[in-house]
Amino acid sequence: MPTLIKLTGGAFADLDNEFVHVADEDDAPNVDAVILSFTRFQAEGEALLAAGRKVGVRLESDQAVEDLAYDLPRLSVVALAFPKFRDGRAFTSARLLRERLGFTGEVRAVGDVFREQAGFMVRCGFDAFEPSDGSTAQEWGTAAGRFRHVYQRAADDRAPAFEERA
Amino acid sequence: MYLYDALDKEFLADRSAEFRGQVARRLAGELSEDQFKPLRLMNGLYLQLHAYMLRVAIPYGSLNAVQARRLAEIARRYDKGYGHFTTRQNIQFNWIKLADAPDILDQLAEVDLHAIQTSGNCIRNVTADPYAGATAEEVDDPRVWSEVIRQWSTLHPEFSFLPRKFKIAITAAPKDRTAARVHDIGLVARRDRDGTLGFEVIVGGGQGRTPYVGPTIKEHLPAGRLLSYLEAVLRVYNRHGRRDNIYKARIKILVAALGAEEFGRQVEEEWAKIDGARADLPDTELARIRGAFATTPFETLPATSAIFEANKAADPAFARFARNNVKPHKKSGYAVVVVSLKAVGQTPGDATADQLEVVADLAERYSLNDLRVTHAQNLVLPHVKLDDLPVVHAALQKAGLATANIDLASDIIACPGLDYCALANARAIPVAQHIAAKFADADYAEKVGELKIKISGCINACGHHHVAHIGVLGVDKKGEEFYQLSLGGSGAEDASIAQILGPALPADKVAEAVDTLVDKYLSVREGEERFLDTFRRVGMAPFKEAVYADAH
Amino acid sequence: MKVVTANRLIDGEVVFWKAGQWVERFADAELFTEAEPGEAAVAVGKGQPKVIVEPYLIDVVESGSGLAPVSYRERIRALGPTNEPTHGKQAEGGAAIEALQHASGAARSSGRLDLIRRK
Repeated sequence: MPTLIKLTGGAFADLDNEFVHVADEDDAPNVDAVILSFTRFQAEGEALLAAGRKVGVRLESDQAVEDLAYDLPRLSVVALAFPKFRDGRAFTSARLLRERLGFTGEVRAVGDVFREQAGFMVRCGFDAFEPSDGSTAQEWGTAAGRFRHVYQRAADDRAPAFEERA
Repeated sequence: MYLYDALDKEFLADRSAEFRGQVARRLAGELSEDQFKPLRLMNGLYLQLHAYMLRVAIPYGSLNAVQARRLAEIARRYDKGYGHFTTRQNIQFNWIKLADAPDILDQLAEVDLHAIQTSGNCIRNVTADPYAGATAEEVDDPRVWSEVIRQWSTLHPEFSFLPRKFKIAITAAPKDRTAARVHDIGLVARRDRDGTLGFEVIVGGGQGRTPYVGPTIKEHLPAGRLLSYLEAVLRVYNRHGRRDNIYKARIKILVAALGAEEFGRQVEEEWAKIDGARADLPDTELARIRGAFATTPFETLPATSAIFEANKAADPAFARFARNNVKPHKKSGYAVVVVSLKAVGQTPGDATADQLEVVADLAERYSLNDLRVTHAQNLVLPHVKLDDLPVVHAALQKAGLATANIDLASDIIACPGLDYCALANARAIPVAQHIAAKFADADYAEKVGELKIKISGCINACGHHHVAHIGVLGVDKKGEEFYQLSLGGSGAEDASIAQILGPALPADKVAEAVDTLVDKYLSVREGEERFLDTFRRVGMAPFKEAVYADAH
Repeated sequence: MKVVTANRLIDGEVVFWKAGQWVERFADAELFTEAEPGEAAVAVGKGQPKVIVEPYLIDVVESGSGLAPVSYRERIRALGPTNEPTHGKQAEGGAAIEALQHASGAARSSGRLDLIRRK
């Protein structure tokens, strides 16, 4: 099970990952919490939710978050994939989830998740991370808190430079 | 001039500390080269042929004397005593050690300079008209908007891992000195009939493998809505730009594939969903930034200067300098002075530490502590009193900086090419030197008139060969350097992409071919017509015939 | 014939493989006439990420004045930039440097384009 780092109230902590990532070709395990692909969610999500399971959906970087809009209130997690850390589409997806679609559940970074991007991810609204570089919650805290100031509004509540100055 | 406040300074210090940590982890083996490379590139640090190269941003091309002196110190201490100004208002140091890079960044940060986003797939250093705040042509000061964009784009959380690099240029004058139409976004400030300030937004221009003059997707964007609109453009690009092929990942490919109209429609649709109250800069902050640029302490001076006129009459070299390198200023009694970094035999765009210090002193004493860098790899003293021109000229002369060739044939743009660059296929600098030598006779060069020759050592086109009157592209033919010539391009307000003249020529035939092209031009030009206008009138055929008949 | 080259991590200096060491002069580089030992040296280099970056094999030929890299790019790496003859490795001067410079001259001159060909 990959390590999960969770950001709660400004603090990063290593947590047990209660969600199981279920691949499309695998049988659904008998667990309380699963993360499914969007395709599989469309087929099986209704039944799983009705059975009282916690359900998360994994979106690949080329999938539009808007397609999830209707189901968002029922989802515990939206996992946004970074196929390579250089693929920055998930940053847009996360911001839209938070700022446009009002999603308040967990937004989780999965795939090639590299702590150098911690600050960008947090600012875009991610609050859970499955790092692929072996980094720890403490390292994520350091990386995400690196900058005392930011220059633009994003999905977090940090005051941008122009507000600090005002 | 905008001065960094405590907040800007703390930001640079934090960035520098972050990079110091990343370098330490790389040297300790905690980061692989694959992991480290994108991190160092985001701080402008490349591994080139002979050493690391550090590209330092000169935001909107503006420096003060203290900053220029610091660049000189770095050139002397960490490089071999020189730096290279690029076509995007950056300066590059060619001989940097990785282990020194964090110290260099600290020293840059002390004077409000940095290397943030001078490489990588992010929004690069924003470039602007080097005559900003000095030319009477402008409808607003583009530095204000450049600084707005500099701050907004700095470590932008959403747009730091775009499909490919992203370059923005801004001008507020009808005469374009920024190559705005061949940028990912070109912004041209205009005033409506009622005086309302807005931007013409040009998206999807570019050079490289697939050159395009960018289409206009918005004729008059209200200036106050700039940031939300940029956010919309960048978001459409970040989501839909191609990521499967590095050569098709720039926004120009997306714009061309969708068509400008459809791309513009998608931007409008996205823009409509953005909350302007959150995305646009508050008027108070805009006023703060504007205020910083509005305080240039000009004196009230007569429009003419007896000293200037007398010196022009007495000294032919000064008169030539005045004709070619001195440009009109918006305030009477002042002039814009362009300092050529293209002395014949010199590496285009290179300045020694000593020269940087001379120019810094001149900026401090005679140009209201203001120095600019142009996309044509020259420097500008933007606010020199007419009375001071002779003494400024004399000081430049002494430093080898008084070459009176701005926009003439020897004012050649050249990338570092295969002498330094790991991507290059052929050298650019020696070719520039050979061509410049053909125009060493200043009378002849003036007779030829405006002629923009630009040389790139590879298809990436850092030397802007696609938008040259005469473009030269170095190619590798079976291990040998060959050069493909092209004619009729322009990066200015009349932007066009140059057309290929014919088969590539060996290195030792290039300068000769340029000579032949110029001879042909002189024989067919009408009146004071520029080379470019003659080409546009007569077409390729006579030039092609001249060069290839001559070569065989 | 081949030589293994790379850039040194800490300062970016061009280096060449010589019997398990990385040396700065092209003239000191170990010459491989067989493919296998050259590839073995590259493999060793790839295992030294704290020392060098991106080791690779280059082709070298007898150029008339001595051994020289086949490609123009590699000759410039072995010498330094041609616009600044006192910068880089060429600053040292001497017979080996001159031989390399001469080789590059021969490669460029028209009429002898086939003298040195890149594979």
